[in-house]
Amino acid sequence: MPRRLQQGLKIAETLLLAILLLVMIGVAVAQIVARNAFGTGFVWGEDLVQVAVLWITMLGATAAAGTDSHIRIDLVSRFADSRFRAVAGRITAMFTAVLCAALGWYSIEFIRWDFIDGTPGFGAVPAWVCETIIPVAAAVMAIRYLGHAIWPNRDDQA
Amino acid sequence: MIWVGVAVVVLMALLGAPLFAIVLAAAMLGFLAGGEELSLIAINIYGMTDKPLLLALPFFTFAGYLMAAAKSSERLMDLTRALFGWMPAGLAIVGFLACAVFTALTGASGVTIVALGALLLPMLKSSGYGERFSLGLVTASGSLGVLIVPAVPLILYGVIAQQMDVGETFTIQQLFLGGIGPVLVMLALLSAWTVWRYGGGRRLGFESGTFWRALSRRRLADLSSAWSVDHREGVTRTAFDAAELWRAVKAARWEIPLPFVVLGGIYSGFFAISEAAAMTALYVLIVEVALYREISLRALPGVARDSMVMVGSILLILGVALAFTDFLIGADVPQRLFAFMQEHVTSALTFLILLNILLLVLGAILDIFSAIIIMVPLLLPVAVGYGIHPIHLGIIFLANLQIGYFTPPIGMNLFIASYRFDRPVLELYAACLPFMVVLLIALLIITYVPALSLWFL
Repeated sequence: MPRRLQQGLKIAETLLLAILLLVMIGVAVAQIVARNAFGTGFVWGEDLVQVAVLWITMLGATAAAGTDSHIRIDLVSRFADSRFRAVAGRITAMFTAVLCAALGWYSIEFIRWDFIDGTPGFGAVPAWVCETIIPVAAAVMAIRYLGHAIWPNRDDQA
Repeated sequence: MIWVGVAVVVLMALLGAPLFAIVLAAAMLGFLAGGEELSLIAINIYGMTDKPLLLALPFFTFAGYLMAAAKSSERLMDLTRALFGWMPAGLAIVGFLACAVFTALTGASGVTIVALGALLLPMLKSSGYGERFSLGLVTASGSLGVLIVPAVPLILYGVIAQQMDVGETFTIQQLFLGGIGPVLVMLALLSAWTVWRYGGGRRLGFESGTFWRALSRRRLADLSSAWSVDHREGVTRTAFDAAELWRAVKAARWEIPLPFVVLGGIYSGFFAISEAAAMTALYVLIVEVALYREISLRALPGVARDSMVMVGSILLILGVALAFTDFLIGADVPQRLFAFMQEHVTSALTFLILLNILLLVLGAILDIFSAIIIMVPLLLPVAVGYGIHPIHLGIIFLANLQIGYFTPPIGMNLFIASYRFDRPVLELYAACLPFMVVLLIALLIITYVPALSLWFL
């Protein structure tokens, strides 16, 4: 993938995370003010912030997949030699890619049911829209870990 | 067939696959074995959206990252030194306190060692503290604050324990109160030990090499020769200086109200925990970006990204662990585990000893967040079965895992300190050992005196 596109994706990811976080803080604080000063909250605000936590989780996890910085048990990488480590890295990245793909695939079923049932999310937004982040992020993570399995030494595969 | 899958998952864990993938695989295997739909996993992940307490995590983590990126650590250090530096072995005690507060505020991610340790280490050495003692202090104190509000591990425990139905209920405010006594015990023991070694203008030396040689040759009479008292070399003491304190207070004027924003918010009843967290994040954002101007607007998205990468990697494990817990409960695993334990372990005391040992081992190989997320759902029902209060269990968990941070061979803080101070990891193992002994004694007290964590109930 061309370098400029990668850079662009990383910037977009960073901005998206930052904006989402600032919106969350803003809405949460606005709610406190509304409730304590005017005695009225807005119901959808609470739900929005809660859905935003899911989005931030999935986007943050996607970013962590890009740099392969997810939490792991570090026994092998601390003590094994570099050749063993490289092989183990490729195998575990492949394993992770397969699992992310499976997570994405099976989450579509869940979204389909909520789409058919018309389950409410927050405000006028239906739940299935909020849920789409799960397969999208899972797919991006699967691609990124596939990248780590094939080209292990490149940082920031997109 | 399932057992082949289990073997693969264990192998992948040992080879260093990301933990979320391990837990995800375990949950999928569990659901497959029980003939359930795999879409249950996504349903459980989406379940994160009905846990209001979870909101506190991204907010507090962001606030912590902002403070770590600004010069808060310097201001905190100056303030603590002006307040407590006059005490015997004052600088070491200042070190413990400042590290505990900074860790609580920044969420125990190793940043305490990087930000505060680097300030503290040269100060300690130039004041006459031994090289090894100083290294041990900054490394072992890097996790000292996990029991203080608003440390993220404490909130995480609350989130997980509260969503389980174990009969005993508690509020998150009570959990925060429960941490106070144990933290004071740890600080008191660490300080007492330090004063004993360095107080009163003398320096108590200890040659661990001589000690172990004497012990291994069974020459018990030689054991005492490992100790030496040096009356000429002591640590320098500084007098209390009101002008210095005033300067430190003025420098930290915007950050001093912070504990009141956090605690006042939580205990006044004006806001829920998650709202207090949002207020904290907004307050710190304004303070560091607009008032101190130490974080530029250009740098802000980067700080947000780094903190949310951390939150994302913790909460993704939590999301898949919710699914795994769903499977465990469906398969009656906690009940079976309890029945099995009851056959072999009759007293709560024995259970607690086993728990301490298990958590020490786990703490040394797992990071604190994963250990909480994975072990609490399994162990909480068992512990409650033995009559242990969930708050007490949480405190034991965190106190244990806190020690795990610098337990050889792979306690995370050992490597952070090794990298930051450019010392071999083996030297850090040795440097942390005495601190570990002191904190293990504190852990025993915390474990076997439940009243310390439950006095307010």
